Amino acid sequence: MSSQDPFVVAGREFGSRLLTGTGKYDTFETMREALAASGSEIVTVAVRRIDLDARDGDITAFLPDDVLLLPNTSGCETADEAVRTARLARAGGLPDWVKLEVIPDPRYLLPDPVETLRAAATLVEDGFTVLPYVLPDPVLQKKLEEVGCATVMPLASPIGSGRGLKLRDAIRIMIEQAEVPLVVDAGLGSPSHAAESMEMGADAVLVNTAIAQAGDPVAMARAFKLAVEAGRAAFHAGLMEEGVQAAASSPLAGAVHEP
Amino acid sequence: MSASITVNGRDQAVEDGETVAGLLERLGLGARYALVERNGDPVERTRYAEVSLEDGDRLVVARPVAGG
Repeated sequence: MSSQDPFVVAGREFGSRLLTGTGKYDTFETMREALAASGSEIVTVAVRRIDLDARDGDITAFLPDDVLLLPNTSGCETADEAVRTARLARAGGLPDWVKLEVIPDPRYLLPDPVETLRAAATLVEDGFTVLPYVLPDPVLQKKLEEVGCATVMPLASPIGSGRGLKLRDAIRIMIEQAEVPLVVDAGLGSPSHAAESMEMGADAVLVNTAIAQAGDPVAMARAFKLAVEAGRAAFHAGLMEEGVQAAASSPLAGAVHEP
Repeated sequence: MSASITVNGRDQAVEDGETVAGLLERLGLGARYALVERNGDPVERTRYAEVSLEDGDRLVVARPVAGG
């Protein structure tokens, strides 16, 4: 898609800065409509063994043809498991792009930085375009950039929590020093959170639960699309400087009641 | 003469010379993306019709599912 301000990852241009996940929708039909309304051009999927006893529907029939499918390595707790999953996906015909997640912690779903870095290095070496999901850690960011990751994707707050930019200050540092696109991934609960991320200078955001679990997922997908566009436009426009005291917007002199 | 393999941990009989593609078709798993690992190594989609299954093979068959 052509765009005045393309989101460029690994040399590939995207018109949309909103990446979306496919999880937690009530139906695949709703998911399909929401994906269309979001305008997303990068859409994540998970990879799982087929349950031979319970063959539910095939999600791929509901995914648009013109988006980049981004397989994730959710469910993997070690680098080796993540590498295995990514290789399986690529061999089977999915793109050689991977959202790298290595998550050993079931309660907060926080990623393991050591195993993530190890897997990233292996996968880059193996020809993958790697988009790692990480805690906001500016030092880890540099190491991931050094091994050749295409983006770095820090979480705003725990996956599915909807709490927004709780780790804002660390993400701000990462944005300031980013050499590859920075995607705020996970924890964004409302369009205002997405807009705020973009205003700060994030290159893109990845949203799943906040859309899928909204009262009207299709309408919320559109709301996130607009918020991402607004936030990006505001970033380019340059935000005003915050002040501590009030600064009048109207002239102080010449009020009608003056003597 | 048939061979015995496992598919996602379950025993599965296969015909002599049956290929990955043949088995997927027979099991109704020939979806747009059926991802196959054989004895721990991923099998390239372009080779599904060439790779013959052998006695004792361990197959993992996976696919894309909803996820974030």
